[in-house]
Amino acid sequence: MSYACGVVEVSALSKTYRVHRRPPGVWAALRSVFRRHTEPVQAVADLSFHIAAGERVGFLGPNGAGKTTTLKILAGLLHPTAGTVRVAGFVPFERSPAFLKQITLVMGQKQQLLWDLPPSETYAMNRAIYEVPKADAEATVRELSALLEVGDLIHKPTRQLSLGERMKCELIAALLHKPRVLFLDEPTIGLDVSMQAKMREFIRAYNAQYGASVLLTSHYMDDVTALCPRVIVIDHGRLIYDGDLKALVRRVRPDKRLTFRLSAPVERAALERLAPVVSHADGQAVLTVAPERLNTTVQAALSTLPIVDLSVEDPPLEEVMRELFRGAVAPASGPAPQTGDAA
Amino acid sequence: MSVVARYARLVTVQLRMSAVTAMQYRSDFLIKGAMSFLWLGVTMVVLVSVFQQRATVRGWTFPEALVVVGCFTLMKGILEGAVSPSLTSVVEHVRKGTLDFLLLKPVDAQFLVSTARIEPWRVMDLVGGVVLLGYAFHRLGGPPAPHRLAAALALMAVGVMVLYALWILVVSAAFWVVKVDNLSYLFGSLFDAGRWPISVFRGVLWFAFTFVFPLALMTSYPAMALLGRLSLATALAGAVGGLAFASLARLIWRRALGFYTSASS
Amino acid sequence: MTGGPPAPVRAADGDGGSFGASLRRAARAYPTLLRVGLSEVVAYRAEFIVWILTTNMPFVMLAIWHAVSTEGSVGRFGSTDFVAYYLGGWVIRLLTSTWLVWELSMEIRGGTLSTRLLRPLHPLYALSAQHLAALPMRALVVTPVVAALIAAAGDRLAIRDPRLLAVFLVSLVGAWLLIFFTMVLLGSLAFFLESSIGVFELWLALHSILSGYLVPLDLLPRWVARIARVSPFDSMLAFPLETLVGLRDLRAALGSLAMQWMYIGLMALLGLAVWRRGVRRYVAFGG
Repeated sequence: MSYACGVVEVSALSKTYRVHRRPPGVWAALRSVFRRHTEPVQAVADLSFHIAAGERVGFLGPNGAGKTTTLKILAGLLHPTAGTVRVAGFVPFERSPAFLKQITLVMGQKQQLLWDLPPSETYAMNRAIYEVPKADAEATVRELSALLEVGDLIHKPTRQLSLGERMKCELIAALLHKPRVLFLDEPTIGLDVSMQAKMREFIRAYNAQYGASVLLTSHYMDDVTALCPRVIVIDHGRLIYDGDLKALVRRVRPDKRLTFRLSAPVERAALERLAPVVSHADGQAVLTVAPERLNTTVQAALSTLPIVDLSVEDPPLEEVMRELFRGAVAPASGPAPQTGDAA
Repeated sequence: MSVVARYARLVTVQLRMSAVTAMQYRSDFLIKGAMSFLWLGVTMVVLVSVFQQRATVRGWTFPEALVVVGCFTLMKGILEGAVSPSLTSVVEHVRKGTLDFLLLKPVDAQFLVSTARIEPWRVMDLVGGVVLLGYAFHRLGGPPAPHRLAAALALMAVGVMVLYALWILVVSAAFWVVKVDNLSYLFGSLFDAGRWPISVFRGVLWFAFTFVFPLALMTSYPAMALLGRLSLATALAGAVGGLAFASLARLIWRRALGFYTSASS
Repeated sequence: MTGGPPAPVRAADGDGGSFGASLRRAARAYPTLLRVGLSEVVAYRAEFIVWILTTNMPFVMLAIWHAVSTEGSVGRFGSTDFVAYYLGGWVIRLLTSTWLVWELSMEIRGGTLSTRLLRPLHPLYALSAQHLAALPMRALVVTPVVAALIAAAGDRLAIRDPRLLAVFLVSLVGAWLLIFFTMVLLGSLAFFLESSIGVFELWLALHSILSGYLVPLDLLPRWVARIARVSPFDSMLAFPLETLVGLRDLRAALGSLAMQWMYIGLMALLGLAVWRRGVRRYVAFGG
């Protein structure tokens, strides 16, 4: 099947579902048996975007924004209410076996690995289900095991593995059939920092080596910064921004964070004369400074305050997002696609 | 690979998984095997108590009642060994949120769900059932005629199909009402009434156990076929009814799945 | 045991402080525990209804005996006697049985028992309150059946004789206590065994025959009945049931009463002993 624009094409996608809300209490419970009160909830509204083969794209948005719903629609797990969706040329919710063999879904803290058995048994089962030739499957497991450094873990029962080890084995299971599109839903949630870094590294390597497209949703901005040159920002089911991540940060232009360590106590007023204070306690102070005033502020601080140590940082990306969602950056009525490089 | 061959291969893969999983819990094998015999013992005590008082109950003699118990034990082995555990795993999946993984596989979801888990120690029930039938027919003077055996086997196959369909209905409910775990106990306890020949029940119970929860079809009819007490008309009606039931179940399963994929998030 | 939360510093197995003090503590906490238990029961009403429907054996057995007794009575039992027996059996079973074994097993295996042990209230007080709190709901559910029972067989029931009625009521309380302590014993085995559910199923199987639940003791094979009548199972169901439906006269009932309370004492001692050993082991190995 040939596709002109890209491996994922979404046009005017909408998803509304009816939620049954019932107030607590015995009477309400009885009444609900006879008459159900449902409300429509719009999870996704009029979403449109294209993703080319081999791209890595991050979906950002606050909780309940519709990221996971969008991902599930793309994977064929949900029926959209309106709009068209094409993934790898297929209509996802038709769930044709050919389509399902092209994609994979990895969900953080949920495993498809069989609990009582070693991951290798899950691999054997997936091999049969996806009809992967034995030699190919064994080669894939070898390659991915080496990349992820799992060693002999795949022969230990899943229940004996730690969360990080399980996620590694889970990735191998998910990639056994060499899918062309990877859907990753909060894949690093609950993992420790070093594990998160290893996972990101692996996904980058996999994308580079096999050219698979990666769609990632995450809470951790680090995931997105490290992995996705392009982000799609969704809030309340609507597309807020679609384009290069760095450009987004530049657009929102948040203030820098200036952190001091002080050798002697300093009055808050003295700090406030320099710049707005974020926090001040126990010999450490954090100020927020507009980028253009950074130089003058630092010089003034060094000359007037007893500073032992000083650092300048970008604020946590959460702040960038918060600014964005607060409407501090007026979103255009449509997306502003500045397709960044695929690398 | 043709579709049938592929699914046949998948069944063997699933069987192997279940066997390996069962080996992980070896001690359970003996314990659960012993349990089957224990409950068989309980049934025997009750049967003996009843038939101590009368030679026949509603036209059934003691050995004939034993045939029903034998068929019941066979069906119970299939229910608790294959049908129940697989379908209970669906409820677990819905609760843990991992049902999506099943839906993402390029294999029919109902098939995956139905073959997910098999408990090999239930083979004790099958052994027990056959032993009972052997003893019962020894008391009756000889084995059943081959055509009766064939009819009984056919009816048991229909019975398994109905059993499975009933379970699919229960599990489909799990998509709407997640707290369905206890229903497996309810199912089992209702099924227990299948120990008895259907003619023991009258009125509401007879109706319920023939048409609503067709125990009659699952245990009494195969027994009656073995004993030559089943008319052809009833047997055919039972078979047709069973097939209709199974198609209905498949329909409801698809509706349930449709509900899950359209309204969940 | 699977890994659980770290062991508590001091296990509250009821030995901390004087017995009187802990009793007073329990007495103060009990009303609240009961109230909380009641709201729990309401919250779990779906499971409760399913559980009630699962207890349907008496009705199936009634159908069978009815089929047998159409041609004539069976020993002492005519059709009405069977109705009285099985309806009464159902009511008593519903009022006295508990699911404590499953709860204890789960808590021990899952490690959540530690939270209970950290509280200054003996876990068994808390658990007993929980189970007692279920009684009002159960009483509500059995009321229609009790009404049916009185309507169908009122002339046979012990309600005529106040002394017999008193003995029956005491036996009912006794049955609840006996079953509770037996469950404590069986549940505590989960501290030591990999799978205490096997033992529980064994108990269930024995109970269903020896307590007269499935078949009235009079109608069982002679040797089985003999064992049953001296077993604790008699005290759990057969004694209150037969007293209720008039199968035990006052003298026999008083004798059974003595046996019942002897068994209660025995089970209480045994159950609590195993519980204490189990808790010590649990705390030592971190659950």
